[in-house]
Amino acid sequence: MAASTDILREITEREYRWGFVTPVEEELVPPGLNEDIIRLISQKKGEPEWLTEWRLQAYRRWRTMEEPRWAKVHYPPIDYQAISYFAAPKQKERPKSLDEIDPEIRRTYEKLGIPIREQEILAGVAVDYVFDSVSVATTFRKKLEDLGIIFCSISEAVRDHPELVRRYLGSVVPPGDNYFAALNSAVFSDGSFVYVPKGVRCPMELSTYFRINAAGTGQFERTLIVADEGSYVSYLEGCTAPMRDENQLHAAVVELIALDEAEIKYSTVQNWYPGDKEGRGGIYNFVTKRGLCKGRRSKISWTQVETGSAITWKYPSCILQGDESVGEFYSVALTNNYQQADTGTKMIHIGRRTRSRIISKGIAAGRSQNTYRGLVRVLRGAEGARNYTQCDSMLIGDKCGAHTVPYIEVKNPTARVEHEATTSRISEDQLFYCRARGLSMEDAVALVVNGFCREVMDELPMEFAVEARKLLGISLEGSVG
Amino acid sequence: MNGKDIPMAMLEIEKLHVSVEGKPIIRGLDLSVDAGEVHAIMGPNGSGKSTLAYVLAGREGYEVTAGTIRFLGQDLLAMEPEERVAAGLFLAMQYPVEIPGVSNMYFLRQAVNAVRKARGEPEIKPGEFMKKLREAAKLVGIPEELLRRDLNTGFSGGEKKRNEILQMAMLEPKLAILDETDSGLDIDALRMVAEAVNRMRSPERAFLVITHYARLLNFLVPDRVHVMIAGRIVKSGGRELADELEAHGYEPFTAEAA
Amino acid sequence: MAVARRIAPAPELAGLFPRIAPQLPGGGALAEVRERAWRRFLEQGLPSVKVEAWKYSRIPQQVNRPMGLARPETPPAAVVREALAGGPHARRLVFANGIAVPSLAHLGGLPQGVRVLPLEEAIARFPERVAEAFARIEDDRGFTDLNTALCRSGAWIELDPGVELTWPLQLLFVAMGGEAAAMTHPRVVVRLGEGAKLHLIESHVSGRDGAVFTNAVLQAEIGEGARLVLERAVMLDADQTLLDEAVCELAAGARLLANGATLGGGLVRGELEVHFRGEGGEALLNGLYVTRGREHVDTAVRVLHHAGGCHSDQFFKGVLDEQAHAVFAGRITVAPGAQRSDAYQVNRNLLLSDEAEVDTRPELEIEADDVRCTHGATVGCLDPNALFYMRARGLAPEVAEAMLTYAFAAEVVERMVDADLARKVRRAILRRVPGGARLETEGLLEEVPA
Repeated sequence: MAASTDILREITEREYRWGFVTPVEEELVPPGLNEDIIRLISQKKGEPEWLTEWRLQAYRRWRTMEEPRWAKVHYPPIDYQAISYFAAPKQKERPKSLDEIDPEIRRTYEKLGIPIREQEILAGVAVDYVFDSVSVATTFRKKLEDLGIIFCSISEAVRDHPELVRRYLGSVVPPGDNYFAALNSAVFSDGSFVYVPKGVRCPMELSTYFRINAAGTGQFERTLIVADEGSYVSYLEGCTAPMRDENQLHAAVVELIALDEAEIKYSTVQNWYPGDKEGRGGIYNFVTKRGLCKGRRSKISWTQVETGSAITWKYPSCILQGDESVGEFYSVALTNNYQQADTGTKMIHIGRRTRSRIISKGIAAGRSQNTYRGLVRVLRGAEGARNYTQCDSMLIGDKCGAHTVPYIEVKNPTARVEHEATTSRISEDQLFYCRARGLSMEDAVALVVNGFCREVMDELPMEFAVEARKLLGISLEGSVG
Repeated sequence: MNGKDIPMAMLEIEKLHVSVEGKPIIRGLDLSVDAGEVHAIMGPNGSGKSTLAYVLAGREGYEVTAGTIRFLGQDLLAMEPEERVAAGLFLAMQYPVEIPGVSNMYFLRQAVNAVRKARGEPEIKPGEFMKKLREAAKLVGIPEELLRRDLNTGFSGGEKKRNEILQMAMLEPKLAILDETDSGLDIDALRMVAEAVNRMRSPERAFLVITHYARLLNFLVPDRVHVMIAGRIVKSGGRELADELEAHGYEPFTAEAA
Repeated sequence: MAVARRIAPAPELAGLFPRIAPQLPGGGALAEVRERAWRRFLEQGLPSVKVEAWKYSRIPQQVNRPMGLARPETPPAAVVREALAGGPHARRLVFANGIAVPSLAHLGGLPQGVRVLPLEEAIARFPERVAEAFARIEDDRGFTDLNTALCRSGAWIELDPGVELTWPLQLLFVAMGGEAAAMTHPRVVVRLGEGAKLHLIESHVSGRDGAVFTNAVLQAEIGEGARLVLERAVMLDADQTLLDEAVCELAAGARLLANGATLGGGLVRGELEVHFRGEGGEALLNGLYVTRGREHVDTAVRVLHHAGGCHSDQFFKGVLDEQAHAVFAGRITVAPGAQRSDAYQVNRNLLLSDEAEVDTRPELEIEADDVRCTHGATVGCLDPNALFYMRARGLAPEVAEAMLTYAFAAEVVERMVDADLARKVRRAILRRVPGGARLETEGLLEEVPA
């Protein structure tokens, strides 16, 4: 009896495992946001005039906008002037080869389990490593170049492929789309850029690992993925941050463009620091992700496993413009302690016979609040459009909340839209059954939750599914007992 | 018993090829059924038996890529589903559809009158309809209460199947196709359904009985038995073929077809 | 660029209350309640589409225009006769433009412990109690306050503990259009004592073409173990508007069965709010809308499980033809601590025209863990399997379509209690569904078992 209590205490009090700080010297721009700061960031990155102007336009737009308040999340006002909008480890220039990377940074990624190496466990994955505001390394570059695939940091893309960036940047998420997208457009620091040429199937997973390290900063990365006709790419992002008492802002923008018969699979394992058991600290994850199925028979599939962040506000969406294009959204959002998540998707059916599928699994534990918010819109011309939505919520404990807020708007009589949702408590029967077979309560909960999320987990690339499963178990620690 | 010797068979299927969502299901099927005959089509799951039934009834989504079907001399494939019924074809479905909000009895009267109208006959008089309905219901063992309920709604599997036979009795088709009517029936219900069908047998009427098992054929003795494998009829024979299948299963035929 | 959340009342409307206040029934406490509601209404204004609950509805804009108060008159006898429901023993109050018509009331022989009277009479006899009832509900929709301030007539229905009214009670509202647009604000107060039972039928019909805006509010307190059956049918003309809010408070073990059908009306918004205040309550809510032309039908259902161990079930269906626009917003809220809550919600829509639009927003807000809550929403066309089945029985496609459309809608009618009302609703469905008139002449309704 005493022993089991000890184990429980040990588990519940275990801390966020990715919460260490890397002792590197970083260069920070002074806190605050104004046109000079934006010019400074743009200058540091050696950007062309058009991009500096683009940022300034976005900033001016942002100043006229109001922070959205419709989500079911609560937080004190953010002082946007107290944030430093650029932080980068000091280095003379971007290392030419992987061997020249600062050993401290190298060690950071070792500790996070994604070593900067082109071998072993990540042999099938090319990774772009983003440390605070800059990309520090990208692996397998050569191999991808041989196929004509561009995979680099967005800063490099601006320099080396300006025509592509200029054509697509902001084409799916315009700078004035929403408050946080406007902020990102003004101050975005780095992020990844992917271009897959016509007819090419990218042979490996492309991945970006985002790490916030510096204090008093935010991360404002920008990702742009373009899949040309008939191409395929699978992309994965992961993220962690140190434990700090302050709330740090992460306001990213991701834009995907799929041309005729192209397919983009975008997976996220989001594990930003969620704050401590009392709800102190943690990342505010206010992200705009949107994909445009521009071409006919194109497909964009979002898979997300959201376990981190104090607050999550994100709605990875698909604009199904091409005839017979397909949008998918698979989501697991797990909240514990005082976490708040308001997440979901939008499927906008424009083209004929467009199809979308939404599978959302929300798990709320502790004193957390977990909301699914989604929109399925079928426009008049979307002849024969189909949508299927399944939203399930599981509650662990009686102090948390689970909410489902779908919007369905249909203007075409040949469309078929189906939405189903359930909310219930974690099954006592299942838990008991597991425990009667010798599993601990914690393991039983993790097992049952994993089963509940199975449909979504199956969508993750294999390399990350195992990690994601473990993460669910870890994130639930302390939720029972 | 060879259909080709008679100038006009009731149903004549020649070199039929059918695809579903681009996938070929029926691959060169020939079949001829004469008035007065009972034919059984037997085959394992996925052999295309139900596809054949739906193609005959005119369901959408079944693409006839080649071949012809003539029913009483007419091009069946050119006819709408309801025109086929008016011409005398009836399909007792494997999975009858539940239609809440429409009473069974009302639906039946609508169907009977629609067919009569198409044949240029006057509408059935309410009294006559009720008399006929009661007789038919008694024959298949459907209680009056079920007639007043919504069409197939909340019916048990067996009740749905019996209701199909009831509809058949009311519509008096020339060719009735029974698609797996025996599945989900207990032995008493099976006997009752077979009895109802036997009573309807006549020199003017033919039956195409699609089934997985031979047991229905113990009560409903067929003139011809066809074995269907992978979209083709691989063997035809008399009723003894059913016994052979019962004894040895489909495996010998499957091996042959492969 | 930004749309304001609130719409300021039009000047004519804003100046109305001071002008007519002296003529409104009741003084003292009631006058104070009215005054307070009016002030709140002026401060808050009407909700714009920026307010979540009105996102798809422009009704507030559309009714915010100069309109006089409707005048008392007598509705045509034929219209009243046609709209009678509840069977031969039903008791009845008839309203023309929201004002009770004493000559058409039939309230004789009510059992001991049942008090049914026109609201103005209740105000004359016990103004404090009416004032106290009025003050009990206020919300942010503006229209409730508008009703409280301007209400002139309605009904007061009270059943003592243990009393059952075995005959249905019908409230028949006849909208009488005139040359100028007119508005009316009837209020119905229902109070059921412990274990009491009532079957209330609310009908809204048109007695004459012309713009009438009815802003009705019904408030029901259902005592412990009491049971209320609330049935409502709306068959108005295209230029008539009905805003109807029903707020029901259920004590422990109380039961509510609410059946509604909207089969006509230019703008109709039905709001139904159910509060479970004690354990073991049950609310079964069924609704149907069959719309066509340019009708806008808006249904907002809110079920709040404040207490545990209650069961709620929402079943709403809609058929939309031509340029009709339907909105459904249903919310289930389970408050912290309301364990063992059981809540279901279904909204199904059938779109028949490529100019129609439906917006549906089912919503779950769950703050307790020992719950079973589900919702489902669908939008689509007729089931191709069912269509094929019918055609395979010889029916022409247009007959099969009409029958299936009718059947889709009739599923809700099957849950209605009053046979008279159900028959009227079925007939109205057939008259609105393409090809339905033919089915009616072929005796579809006769076959339906009573």
